[in-house]
Amino acid sequence: MTLPLLAVDALAVTHHGADGSSVEIIGDVSFSIGAGETLGLVGESGSGKSLTALALMDLLGPNLAATGTILLRDRSLGSLRPRERRRLCGSELAMVFQDPMTALNPVYTVGDQIAEVLLTHRLASRRPARDRAVELLGQVGIPHPSQRVDAYPHQLSGGMRQRVVIAIALAGDPSVLIADEPTTALDVTIQAQILDLLRELSAQRGMGTMLISHDLGAIAEVATQVMVLYAGRVVEHAPVDRLFAEAQHPYTIGLLSSLPKLGGREQRLSTIAGRVPLPGTVRTGCRFADRCPWALTRCRLEAPALTEIASGHRVACLRAPLLAPPSPGMAA
Amino acid sequence: MTPTGTGQSISPRSAKRRRRAKGGVATAMAVAILAVIVGVALLAPVLAPYDPYEVDLSAALQPPGSAHLLGTDMQGRDLLSRIMYGTRLTLLTSLTALVSGSVVGALLGLAAVFFPSSDAVIGRLLDILLSFPAILFGLALGASLGPGLLPVTIALSIATVPEVGRIARAAGLTIARQEYMQSGRAIGLGKTTLFFKYLAWNCMPTIFVFLTLRFGFIILLGAGLNFLGLGAAPPAAELGVLAAEGRNVLAFAPHVATYPSLTIFLLVLSLNVLGDVLRDKLDKRLL
Repeated sequence: MTLPLLAVDALAVTHHGADGSSVEIIGDVSFSIGAGETLGLVGESGSGKSLTALALMDLLGPNLAATGTILLRDRSLGSLRPRERRRLCGSELAMVFQDPMTALNPVYTVGDQIAEVLLTHRLASRRPARDRAVELLGQVGIPHPSQRVDAYPHQLSGGMRQRVVIAIALAGDPSVLIADEPTTALDVTIQAQILDLLRELSAQRGMGTMLISHDLGAIAEVATQVMVLYAGRVVEHAPVDRLFAEAQHPYTIGLLSSLPKLGGREQRLSTIAGRVPLPGTVRTGCRFADRCPWALTRCRLEAPALTEIASGHRVACLRAPLLAPPSPGMAA
Repeated sequence: MTPTGTGQSISPRSAKRRRRAKGGVATAMAVAILAVIVGVALLAPVLAPYDPYEVDLSAALQPPGSAHLLGTDMQGRDLLSRIMYGTRLTLLTSLTALVSGSVVGALLGLAAVFFPSSDAVIGRLLDILLSFPAILFGLALGASLGPGLLPVTIALSIATVPEVGRIARAAGLTIARQEYMQSGRAIGLGKTTLFFKYLAWNCMPTIFVFLTLRFGFIILLGAGLNFLGLGAAPPAAELGVLAAEGRNVLAFAPHVATYPSLTIFLLVLSLNVLGDVLRDKLDKRLL
C-alpha cells in the first residue's frame, strides 16, 4: 500500500476550563486518506465532526487542545512550529467552509481573495496570480471567469460563492481538502452540482478529501469510505458500499433507517430517540447505550473498543457483528 | 376597504421613493452647506475681503453693510474675514483631533478583539478614559501647558479615543464571529493581513459613520473649549473665540456673536444630517 496523504492516529480534543477541569470532547479518532479517496464523516450535530476538521487545520478556539498524531504525507503536523503549520494551511491542507454567505471577505473581490492565497504562499506574483485566479474560477465551473474575477462576493449567488470558496481552497493546490458541510447552506440542485464538482476535482488532482456531512445521500454519492462519529468517538468505519449494505453499529443502522425511502409506504420517518450526550457526561460503558434498542447490561459497564470485523470495516459495539439486525423502527 | 380608484392607494414602492426623495433633499442640502463652508475655509486667503487681524478702531462694531458684509467687531476687524479664517482653524484642530484620536481608538478597540487576552486591559483603559469628561481634560491640559491650540487638540483627541474604541470593539466582535475570519486563517494568512484586510477593513463602514456623527460633536466641543478661553487666545480667529468675543457686546451689536455661532451651528447640523444618512445607508446594506 502506498503512503496515505493524510494519516490521523488517536486524535483527541480536550477542553480545558478556566477552573482547571478538562473534558475530552473527541477522542481516539484514527483514519487515513489516500490519493483520490474521499472520507465521509457522518454524525449528528455535536458529534465532533467539525471539531475534527478544525483540529486538523489548527483552528481550535482558546481552551481547546488537540493531541494525537497527524501525518500529512510524511510530515507530522503536531511537531511543527505554529508558523510552519500555518504555512501548510491553504497550501498542502485546505478547507471549504459550511456557509458560503459568510466564508468570503465581503470587502475584496473574489479574484483578490484567490490571489491572496497564491501571494501568501509565494506561489505566484501579482500579475500571474490574477490569471491563475481566472483559471481556477473556470475550473470550478463559474461562467465568464474573466469578468467574475472582479466581482464582490455579494454580487454572486450562494452556489457561485461556494464555488469561489472551493476555488480559494484549491488555489494552493492542496493534497488534502477538508469540506465541512459544503452543501448544507445550498438548495438541492446546487448541492448536487457542488458534490459532483468535489468528486471530479478530487479524481482529477489525485487529492484526498474529507467530506463532513450529516447528509447520508451526499456521502453515498461522493465518499469512498465512511466514518461515523457519535459523541466524539468513532463508532463505525467502513468502505462506503459496505457501510450502506452491512452497517453493524446500532447507531449507523438507526441513521440509515431514518432516511426517507423513495416510494416507501411509511407515514412517519423513523427516528433515534433521545439526543447525543454532552461531553463528559458518559463515564462508563458505551456512549450510545441509552439510546440503543439492543443495549445489554454489559453495554453500560464496559466501553466497546473499535475492532475490525472485516477488511477495512471497524465497529465499536460489544454486540457486533449483529447477525440479524432487527427490523427498522427502533424508535419507540 | 373599497377601492376608490385613482390616487387613493399608495404602493409601497412610491412611499419608498418619496422617503428617498425627502432624504435626498436633506442630504443634498447638508452636502451643499458643508461644501460651501469647507470650500470657503480652504480658500480664505483668496476670498477674504480684508485681513482678519487688521484693526481699524474708527470702524468698530459696524452693523452688516456694504463695506463689511457681516459687519465689524469691537476693534473694527472685518467679521466675514475673521469667520473665514476662524472656520479654517476650527476645522483644522477638530480634524486633527478626530483623525489622531480615531486611529488610536480604532486600533485599541480592534486589538482587544483580535488578541482576546488584551481585552480586559484595553477595555478598562477605555472605561477610564470614558469616565473623564473631555472638558476636564481640556482644563487640566490648558492649566499645565498653558492655553493654546495644542492642548485643545490633544484634549479633543483623547476625548475621541474611548468612544471610537468602544464602537470599533463592538463592530470587531461582530466581524470576528464571521466565518471568513476563520477561512482567512485556514488559508494560512498572516496576522497582519487578517487584522487589517479582514477585521479592520470590514469594521471601517461602522467606524466611519460614527466618525461623521462624532465630527460635529468634536467641533462643538472644541469651540466650547476655545470659548472658555482654554484654546486659541484672542486675537486669533477661531469660531469659539469669535463667539466669546461677541458675548460682551451682545446687547448692542448682536451680529458679532451671532454669525460665528451660526457657522458652528450649520457646520454641526450638516455633519449630523450626513452622518444619519450614512448610517441609514449602511443599515440598509446590512439588512
